[in-house]
Amino acid sequence: MTTNTRPVAQRIRVRPRNKANLIIQATLIGLLLLTLYHLATFDSRGISPIEGIAKTLESFRTLFFEPRLKNVSLGEMLYALSITVAMGLLTTIFGALIAFFLALGAARNLAPRWLNNLITGGTAFIRAVPTVLWVLFFAVAAGLGSVAAVVGMTFHSVGYLIKAYAESFEELDAGVLEALRASGASWWQTIFQAVVPTSASALLSWTFVRFEINFSTAIAMGAVAGAGGIGFDMFMASTFYLDLRELGAFTYAVLIFAIALEWFATRLKGGLGARV
Amino acid sequence: MALLEVESLVKRYGTETLALDQVSFTMEAGEFAAIIGRSGAGKSTLLRCINRLIDISSGELRFDGVSVPGLRGTALRRHRTQIGMIFQHYNLVNRLSVIENVLHGRLGYKGLVQGVFGIYSEEEKREAVRIIESLGLGEQIYKRCDQLSGGQKQRVGIARALIQQPKLLLCDEPIASLDPNAAKIIMDTLREINREMGITVLVNLHQVDVALRYADRIIGVKGGTIVYDGTPDRLSSEQIHQIYGSEAGDLILDLSEQHYAA
Repeated sequence: MTTNTRPVAQRIRVRPRNKANLIIQATLIGLLLLTLYHLATFDSRGISPIEGIAKTLESFRTLFFEPRLKNVSLGEMLYALSITVAMGLLTTIFGALIAFFLALGAARNLAPRWLNNLITGGTAFIRAVPTVLWVLFFAVAAGLGSVAAVVGMTFHSVGYLIKAYAESFEELDAGVLEALRASGASWWQTIFQAVVPTSASALLSWTFVRFEINFSTAIAMGAVAGAGGIGFDMFMASTFYLDLRELGAFTYAVLIFAIALEWFATRLKGGLGARV
Repeated sequence: MALLEVESLVKRYGTETLALDQVSFTMEAGEFAAIIGRSGAGKSTLLRCINRLIDISSGELRFDGVSVPGLRGTALRRHRTQIGMIFQHYNLVNRLSVIENVLHGRLGYKGLVQGVFGIYSEEEKREAVRIIESLGLGEQIYKRCDQLSGGQKQRVGIARALIQQPKLLLCDEPIASLDPNAAKIIMDTLREINREMGITVLVNLHQVDVALRYADRIIGVKGGTIVYDGTPDRLSSEQIHQIYGSEAGDLILDLSEQHYAA
């Protein structure tokens, strides 16, 4: 048992001592010190943490267990919800249509390299700027409201979907494209006879993900950009009427719709996968 | 007139790599020829020059009297419709059914809209069903291609090539991914197509024994040039050795000796 020549006193390092690890450790220690400093100098305005947490929980209880409508009727709420859904749907459809054709140019196996670089470079820029900023940018031309919201959200959807679609297209085996070209098929024919059938399920799935994102963005835009819909009613209920109970009702309406959407998307994808 | 005439064909990749160097041969209609050679010898490049999946650097290639190197657009598509091609990895659209894949062979004859939406005439569909049944896939006609075995997939690939009504069938390693049983069915099918339908067949093969057994003519390729062109019975072990280089082990020699014994 004495074959181990390493002195007992010297401990074995598992993690190599390099620059990257040192920087991570220094960052973590720095963040820890900052947290301690902030906790020590926190201005709680005489409210104890316990009391604060209790009041927050009380608000949540009101929000979720006592929802009721007051300033808005049920019909008006559903109408506002439908405006928000329509905004999400419209921007997704616009985005999907534009993105489909641009993604054909962005896919490396379908288009020349210079076009790939042009489109992927442009969309990287579009995606780097948040949706809200695009909406505010278009608000300069269109004024704050639903038009700016739809244009701005479409813009960001296009950037997002081009990347997602192009990656789905690139999954297609190059040999299949070669085989169709060898039989004399033209480029558009190979797209619709080989590329689209192969990637249909992935395209649908990405489009639904984007619809969910656009739906929640549409809620925020209702409040921030004055685009209307349930987001605007939530904004009014919370900051104007200070009515947590009504806000709770709106939250439930949004939640029910989101769950229904998820259920529908799963069903649709299952159906497509099983198609013979 | 020869169906295919290749004269001093050169294919360069970039400025340095010479894939094909001064290749010349002719094929008469109705021939069954096998190209043998090591991986990277230029076999696949040669096939793809014939239907212009890759561009030709210099030299002349005439198919059915038409000069191929300069073809573009519609004329190139028309040229390709006359040449069927089958592949080692079958290259089918896996999510589509057998008949949909077979009908893809008609796309070259179609206009943009018909091709994009997959609109085929009743006559074309009947022909597809007939070819599928003649290849023994009648049961699988509406099955998705990812549910088929390798041998069945290759037969779908053959059906897709046949519905083009081609004059020439190019086969790029058609049996390299198949078990011996399926490989035999595919090779027998190719010979039948050659003998009974009179379609010229040019097949790339790794297996020398298979090439010797099925082909009327052997073309040996090494380093982008043709080093043997003649009937199988005149191909000696030394020549096989030369085509495959010194690394070719006893296996190949054994196989060729078997051929002579048979």
